Amino acid sequence: MSGTVLTRPATTVAGRPPSRRRRSSARARRRALPWVLLAPALLVIGVLLLYPLIRVFLLSLQDYGLRNVVSGQSNYIGLGNYAEIFTDAYLWQVALPNTAVFAVATVGGTVVFGTLVALLLRTLGPVARTVVVSCIMVAWAMPAVTGTYVWIWIFDVDRGIVREALTAAGVLGPDGFNWFTERLTFYAIATLNVVHHGFPFVAVTVLAGLLTVPRELYEAAALDGANAWQRFWHVTVPTLRPVFAVVTILSTIWDFKVFAQVYLMPGGAGSNVDVLNLGVWSYVRSFGRQEYGMGSAIAVVLTLMLLAITVVYLRSLFRDEELS
Amino acid sequence: MSRSALGKGAAVAGVLAFTLFPAYFMLMSAFSEGGATGTGALLPTSFTLEHFRYVLVEAGFLTYLRNSLIVALITVAGSSLVALLAAVAVARFRFRLRTTVLIMVLVVQMVPLEALVIPLFLQVRDLQMLNTLIGLSIVYIALALPFAVWMLRGFVAAVPKEVEEAAYIDGASWPRMFWSVLLPLVAPGLVATAIFSFITAWNEFILAMTFMNQGDKYTVAVGLRQFFGQYTTDWPSVMAASTIITLPVMVFFLFVQRGLVSGLVQGAVKG
Repeated sequence: MSGTVLTRPATTVAGRPPSRRRRSSARARRRALPWVLLAPALLVIGVLLLYPLIRVFLLSLQDYGLRNVVSGQSNYIGLGNYAEIFTDAYLWQVALPNTAVFAVATVGGTVVFGTLVALLLRTLGPVARTVVVSCIMVAWAMPAVTGTYVWIWIFDVDRGIVREALTAAGVLGPDGFNWFTERLTFYAIATLNVVHHGFPFVAVTVLAGLLTVPRELYEAAALDGANAWQRFWHVTVPTLRPVFAVVTILSTIWDFKVFAQVYLMPGGAGSNVDVLNLGVWSYVRSFGRQEYGMGSAIAVVLTLMLLAITVVYLRSLFRDEELS
Repeated sequence: MSRSALGKGAAVAGVLAFTLFPAYFMLMSAFSEGGATGTGALLPTSFTLEHFRYVLVEAGFLTYLRNSLIVALITVAGSSLVALLAAVAVARFRFRLRTTVLIMVLVVQMVPLEALVIPLFLQVRDLQMLNTLIGLSIVYIALALPFAVWMLRGFVAAVPKEVEEAAYIDGASWPRMFWSVLLPLVAPGLVATAIFSFITAWNEFILAMTFMNQGDKYTVAVGLRQFFGQYTTDWPSVMAASTIITLPVMVFFLFVQRGLVSGLVQGAVKG
């Protein structure tokens, strides 16, 4: 490659006079051009996403506290943090179940409810469908932070609408009930929040898939005497398998790393140790207790779990399609 | 017929009620005079703008709005430019490691922010850029970039190659072709991508909370927390502020939803 490699395209003068060297240098430039175009993106991703990933792994091998932050000195202890995490009952009894069971519940809820809504949307006329899709977009567009605050307010222990309704109905006594202190009710509210925010994506994606299934398939199945459930199970599901795979795995990835929806809830920022998930646990250890090495190790465990899911995702994405 | 139509109507009503209730409740709590209790917010009797006045004028939310806007605009400008160049590279050229680059772009999107926040905090701290809007913006550019590249790649690939070749035949150089032919054709995609970068920066919480610990540097997502007292919460103010944060996102979202859905489904459904 010649010196033109270093020439940025923006500085190349348009309509430069033709010369004998032009052909070969043009070819070299063309070969280098994609890398010149990619350079800024690769630099940003490398410095701000990949390097931190390496760094968080290195931090996870250290006993890194506030003193190290100030002095910048490293303090390697091998796999000590990991040994501590994996022998800690807190991981197995609290943080991991809170992460995994919550993810299963939210992904299940999101995909089932989203699919039901998509099936409903398909039966509507074009105008009604557009109106309903626009409305469910409102749930998707609600930022996680403000959406979470609205759900907390709905379930507010003293003056929330649920409390007032239950008291008026005589179900709840004057003392009320704090559903944020109990692990199960805490995560029930978080699940409601995440399903509400996540189902529009599933509904709209599955709807787009449903509209590509040829009507003839359903007609043929109906002629063969299949009822609605059989038509869904034997025609829709096999045809839309890739769509279901994508929405399920993407939802799993998103729901595994839920942070604000738990952190912002009462007690979710560390004061109620029963309700932390892996992400919040890592954050609280790092920034609450200044144990950056320990927090990093928890974060690495979370990242590896997500990476495993991502590999499954990429497999299902590329099984029948080459990147083009 | 009428019974199934009735059932369908009831199902649609149920879905809409569940979907819209939080947004309705947020608006009513913010605008109603009795918004400090659940019932007062659900069925308002009189409306007021007092909560908004308090939030914007007395609680300093204008500062947070300004901070968020600056950060989001820098993010949009930076990520759109960088992503467009990269998208052209992966959509228009065949080169070694191209698939590797694409897979990397996909994979980095899965990395949880909880893992990045610790090293990024140390990195930004070392550069003395904590509590600076530019420091936060630069990190947001990186966050918005992979998705922007992925989305723009589809838009660039959709431009027929013949259009480019025609420009070359007319004697245009590559930069000239890029500027006068490709750029206008992918402009709609660029707008959609820009809006997504804007929403990413506007909504982000964990990094903003970690990097910004001076009150005058808060972004809107972090600024909301100040209405929470130890024992009581000023819910009408929280809801008024939430309304202010949510509205631009909703407007943008309705604007780009079509492009988003088709872009996401592209990988899944093959027509």
